[in-house]
Amino acid sequence: MALKLTMDDTAYALDIESLRPELKVEIDGRKRSVIDEGTRDGFRIIEIDGRHFEFSQARDGNRVFLRLGGRNWIIDLIDPRDAAGEAGNATDEIRAPMPGAVVTVHKEAGSDVKHGETVLTIESMKLQTNLVSPRDGIIASFLKSVDDTFEKDEVIVTLETEASDA
Amino acid sequence: MRPTALPFTKVLIANRGEIACRVEDTLKEMGITSVAVFHDSERKARFVQLADEAHEIVGETPVAAYLDGGQIIEIALSSGAEAIHPGYGFLSENADFARQVSEAGLVFIGPEPASIELMGDKITSRKFAEEHGVPVAQSVLTDGDLDGFVKKASAIGFPLLIKASAGGGGKGMSIVHSADELAESARVAASEAERYFADSTIYAERYVEKPRHIEVQVVGDGNGNVVHLFERECSIQRRFQKIIEEAPSAGLADELRDRICEAAVRLASAANYRNAGTVEFILAPDGAFYFLEMNTRLQVEHPVSEMITGIDLVRMQIEIAAGLPLGVSQDDIGVSGHAIECRICAEVPERDFMPATGKVLELDPPAASHIRFENGLVEGHYVTLSFDSMLAKLVVHGENRKAAIDCTVEALRETVLLGVETNLDYLSRVADHPVFRDGALHTGFVTEHEQDLVAPPPDEMERDAALLAAALAFREFRTLVFDAPDPYASMGGWRN
Amino acid sequence: MRRIQSAINTASPDFRQNRDHYRRLVAELHEKQSTARHARPERDIARLERQGKMLPRERVEKLLDPGTPFLELSTLAANMDYEGESPGASIITGIGIVSGREVIIHADDSSIKGGAWYPLSVKKIIRCLDIALENHLPVIHLCDSAGGFLPLQSEVFPDRHMAGRIFRNQCLLSKAGIKQLSLVFGQCTAGGAYIPGLSDYNVIVRGTGAVFLGGPPLVKAATGEEVGVEELGGADMHTSVSGTCDYPAASEEEAIAIGREIVAQWDRPQKWACQREEPADPYYDPEELYGILPDDIKKGFDIREVIARIVDGSRFHEYQPNYGTTLVCGFANIWGWKVGILGNNGVLFNDSSLKGAHFMELCNQNNTPLVFLQNITGYMIGQAYERRGITKDGAKMIMAQTCSRVPKFTVMCHGSFGAGNYGMCGRAFDGRFLFGWPGHQIGVMGGEQATNTLADVKIAQMRRNGETFDPEVIEELRETTQSAYLEQLSAYYSTSQIWDDGILDPVDTRNALGMAITSSLNAPLGDSGYGVFRF
Repeated sequence: MALKLTMDDTAYALDIESLRPELKVEIDGRKRSVIDEGTRDGFRIIEIDGRHFEFSQARDGNRVFLRLGGRNWIIDLIDPRDAAGEAGNATDEIRAPMPGAVVTVHKEAGSDVKHGETVLTIESMKLQTNLVSPRDGIIASFLKSVDDTFEKDEVIVTLETEASDA
Repeated sequence: MRPTALPFTKVLIANRGEIACRVEDTLKEMGITSVAVFHDSERKARFVQLADEAHEIVGETPVAAYLDGGQIIEIALSSGAEAIHPGYGFLSENADFARQVSEAGLVFIGPEPASIELMGDKITSRKFAEEHGVPVAQSVLTDGDLDGFVKKASAIGFPLLIKASAGGGGKGMSIVHSADELAESARVAASEAERYFADSTIYAERYVEKPRHIEVQVVGDGNGNVVHLFERECSIQRRFQKIIEEAPSAGLADELRDRICEAAVRLASAANYRNAGTVEFILAPDGAFYFLEMNTRLQVEHPVSEMITGIDLVRMQIEIAAGLPLGVSQDDIGVSGHAIECRICAEVPERDFMPATGKVLELDPPAASHIRFENGLVEGHYVTLSFDSMLAKLVVHGENRKAAIDCTVEALRETVLLGVETNLDYLSRVADHPVFRDGALHTGFVTEHEQDLVAPPPDEMERDAALLAAALAFREFRTLVFDAPDPYASMGGWRN
Repeated sequence: MRRIQSAINTASPDFRQNRDHYRRLVAELHEKQSTARHARPERDIARLERQGKMLPRERVEKLLDPGTPFLELSTLAANMDYEGESPGASIITGIGIVSGREVIIHADDSSIKGGAWYPLSVKKIIRCLDIALENHLPVIHLCDSAGGFLPLQSEVFPDRHMAGRIFRNQCLLSKAGIKQLSLVFGQCTAGGAYIPGLSDYNVIVRGTGAVFLGGPPLVKAATGEEVGVEELGGADMHTSVSGTCDYPAASEEEAIAIGREIVAQWDRPQKWACQREEPADPYYDPEELYGILPDDIKKGFDIREVIARIVDGSRFHEYQPNYGTTLVCGFANIWGWKVGILGNNGVLFNDSSLKGAHFMELCNQNNTPLVFLQNITGYMIGQAYERRGITKDGAKMIMAQTCSRVPKFTVMCHGSFGAGNYGMCGRAFDGRFLFGWPGHQIGVMGGEQATNTLADVKIAQMRRNGETFDPEVIEELRETTQSAYLEQLSAYYSTSQIWDDGILDPVDTRNALGMAITSSLNAPLGDSGYGVFRF
């Protein structure tokens, strides 16, 4: 699959059938031949199955806004790595990246955390560092509390184990 | 005719967004230095860039900053401005502010504080209108006695419209169809009124079925001279807020138009009104019309009146504020063609017009001599929930209503405003609706035609074109399409 | 260059007969390929599903850029070995495009006996890495193998061209600056652990991927230590503790997405400047090849008719058209690339051998890759030819061919018998790629000659031993000898042994050569120079 897009909460899978001499793309089973004609008079032009469409576009990260056919379209790209699973680096633990002491605990056991959310702040060598959750989940327990010291790689927080997909 | 001396050399605009830009345009044209005030969140906004001078104002919220009259007056003084134009909203109808401006030795570009006070209260303004022979819908006020209110209101007959006396923007408003609902609705309306406006006074008035919203633009010089710039029709509303306005109103008999305009002028004259104002009426299907309220400021939709009369209302406001005479008589003011304004808002019509946020990434408004695209936007402008959801106004002039509608639909289609969800396409569906084209308007139009106004499902081909255009916007896809080396790319998905 | 004027009459009975015959051969090929690729016991597929694994071919398809080709190599390796228990030798290899870059893929086929390596699996991987070395193609390993197939370990492990060669080749690839990426989907045990270990980049799937020299049972047996797979060599351990692996992935999809992103960071090797023109499809329909190729190995055909259905625009500049006519030589373009083609139009004589040697020298001077289209019964024999020096002329051709500095490609179109196989760049001569067509045969001599020779030897032996001469026994002997010999001559036997890089449907030849030539240009041209030509 070349690309996955969503529009109005519907997902569309685009697959490239052929590239040259003609770009042929399959969208959910419909085959379309596509020519990107670039920009003319400030508009972009795309030819689909021999029909010309003039449009304007703006992109913001993984989102594209289009003005085409007299209407606005908002289309999002699904990052293949996101689609493949947020849990890319997910473990059930937060370990100390360096020896130090806990400065602040931002969450409590049993609370929900989001991937990347700060769980606690530690201090090491006069430098404060936020430790974040490796994935979405629920905090199982804190093995250290404020002012406790720890060694490098020591587990400080554990997350509840995710139920594996049955 | 026009005085050669400048009315002022420097004017501060106590507003933001498109209206600040609008005022700056006229100031520039008049050779007057403009001073903008901005909140930190809008440092790069268009109205700040267009202004000759700009000063930051602070507040707990951006809106609070614009409501801080003292701060604004101080900036006006320190920057050497001689007058303050309040725009609409914020401090524009705040009599205390108008008074403080005068007391600070500055000129408030608007009516006398007394006029603002008189018209600012729905009860006193209606009483005033009644006294001067302007028809007012039969109504009753709570007076703190809810039971008595229910009894008296029932006597008017149903349906009834319940409103907060100090209200606006549809808050605390409801329509009651029977006596059974009345007590409860009154209680809810009173508590909402208390919550939003710190004043639980509500009133009930006869609710006109399928009413039209007709308003008359008036300008007075404070010396007893009042002219009108004809009426505007603002019946296309969603959530009690106007989204499409036009001038003149569709299919209004000349005789009725004259009577409505004459009533508006009579009211303004009675108040010895100075500066620009708008007298709003409800027009019943039977031709009866009732005074609704008077807005003592420039209206959002003022450009449609300007386009059919050729008069610059802001210039007129400034000249009057500077003590200059009106400069035109009623006989000088004629109507040429038809004008329509569409309010382009950051909102999601499909989700009950919920406000939307985002960054304006691409802005390419239609440009033509008969089109005004009033906006305060720059590309990269971040649309937040801090302010009103209106982003821009598309104002179009045509030789007649049909031409104006055709042009509006076309111009909406051509408008490129990307990066935030807007009601552009919704407006286009309204303007292109056969009933709208027929001019059979009333304030419940969008509700009545709700089903017709839902976005039609896109043509499959067009949707695929959009998907493919979007795909080609992503580097991920372009790489696959354009970076594949040849001859491999020419072999397609060949397998042996 | 002029278009070849085809003399084929597609309405003739001969053409139709040939076509019907070849269509059967091609149908048989496609069926065998499909079986080798997809026919798997239900339980093996169920097991992969249970482990949350994709089928190995799904992984390959997801890894490749959409809308780009994949040249699968040796699809039918081991098809006549191990009683068919190791289809494709349990390995998938091929050349494709990943993130816009040419790569060669080695994927363990875990849908067969857990991806265990048979002797021919090892041969196929080594061939894959040899191709990478010769053509400077980055390698992507999709690792999911249970390790060497124990019952045959003696044929897998110790010799020069056995498993160790894989790792030796990996080291040489790295030394040559040719990139390698491993995506670890399953267990890489013992030697298999070195595949990611010797790769420049590797990605490992959490939960299913594991890398260790000895798995938990072996560890327990050796030291008594009890340890689980994840702790011993799982994704998190290797990516955060040992540093053996680089990227953990939550799923196979993510591993592939990461892999594609890694490849997108790679530079693109500069190809040497082979002459190139705008490609064009052949003027004549390649499907007509089916009617051109005879239904009998003994029947001849004009190799120009084959050339006309492979090269761009069917255009061909023929060299020495009137000299040494049993070897057709000339220039053409395939997918735009200028190539020198040598095709057999009969037995090689002195003049055709000299012409071939001369033409190859021209191509080496001109930096023009060589394409050999084999249909050869050998060099001419007999007193007159020996007196004229057929052996030394054949030797010149072999010398010129062997020492060629330009890349060489061979297609076994029909027969490949005797020393003709050598002169025309048979497998031993390190052509970059060698493909066969389904009806081709390879042998030291033709089937009938060989059978007769073998029977004669047997008869002489019987006579010597004073056994009675029984014609029936002789006939039976002749038949069994012939069927065994013919089996070994067949394209399927060749490809089973990996004597080639796969059997092609003739209509696919143009694309296969196009990809082979394109990828060969990554490696710089070799040094020029020859040995001693015997004059």
